Amino acid sequence: MSVISLRLKDKETKRIDELSKTENRDRSSVARELLDYGWTFLMISRYREGKISLEILSKKLDLSMSEAIDLLAEYGVESTVTYEDYLNGFEFTLG
Amino acid sequence: MELVFDASTLILLARTTLLRDVTEFTQVQIPTVVEQECLAKNSFDAALIKQLIQERRVAVQAEIGESGVKKLIEDFRIGNGEASAIWLARTKELPLALDDGQAIKVCKALGLQFVTAIHILLVLVSHGRLSKEIAAEKLKALSHIGRYTKKIIEDAEQRLRE
Repeated sequence: MSVISLRLKDKETKRIDELSKTENRDRSSVARELLDYGWTFLMISRYREGKISLEILSKKLDLSMSEAIDLLAEYGVESTVTYEDYLNGFEFTLG
Repeated sequence: MELVFDASTLILLARTTLLRDVTEFTQVQIPTVVEQECLAKNSFDAALIKQLIQERRVAVQAEIGESGVKKLIEDFRIGNGEASAIWLARTKELPLALDDGQAIKVCKALGLQFVTAIHILLVLVSHGRLSKEIAAEKLKALSHIGRYTKKIIEDAEQRLRE
């Protein structure tokens, strides 16, 4: 593990302290976990906004595609396939 | 019928145990990188896909134009598996089965025909390979793991009732 220095806002430090106290864990492990959650949230947001594909999402989160699909289902994140895409798909199946 | 698949649709159809039925009337083709993505970790869908590859019901295409795939990744910011599947479909002039909005945008840009797992489910019904009752249950499962919008699911339900 590497060591970095960060300037945190008071409210961020308070959150780390609060979590550290309630979960009886050291501040470093709590901060790492929050970073991890933040990364996951950010990547899911990018996926939901159509900025990254499912495969890119799975790679960014170190998950298999199957696990990424499970994660999205668990968080209730809708598919990025639009109704228009769906209707376009019938051009082949009906054609 | 021949179809190229990317990992998303292959996994959804494997999860809903529809993939074997699909391989009975469709020649399924995937690039090597999609095979690797699907078999990356032990899971039910990975085991089923592996079995179907061994039975040669799913054909793995090793030879894909690397430069074309690389360009798709750079131009459209999609993954290697998605780009490889799109490139394979484009090269072989085959439609593509995929369940990712970003990759579908690429298909539209390139003028490729595409379908999703829901279309394949509806085709299984229209070909008499799946009863409407079973299809309705499969659609519920697909709606959960495929996370389709309410509008898509309602439309598919309506088509199943027709």
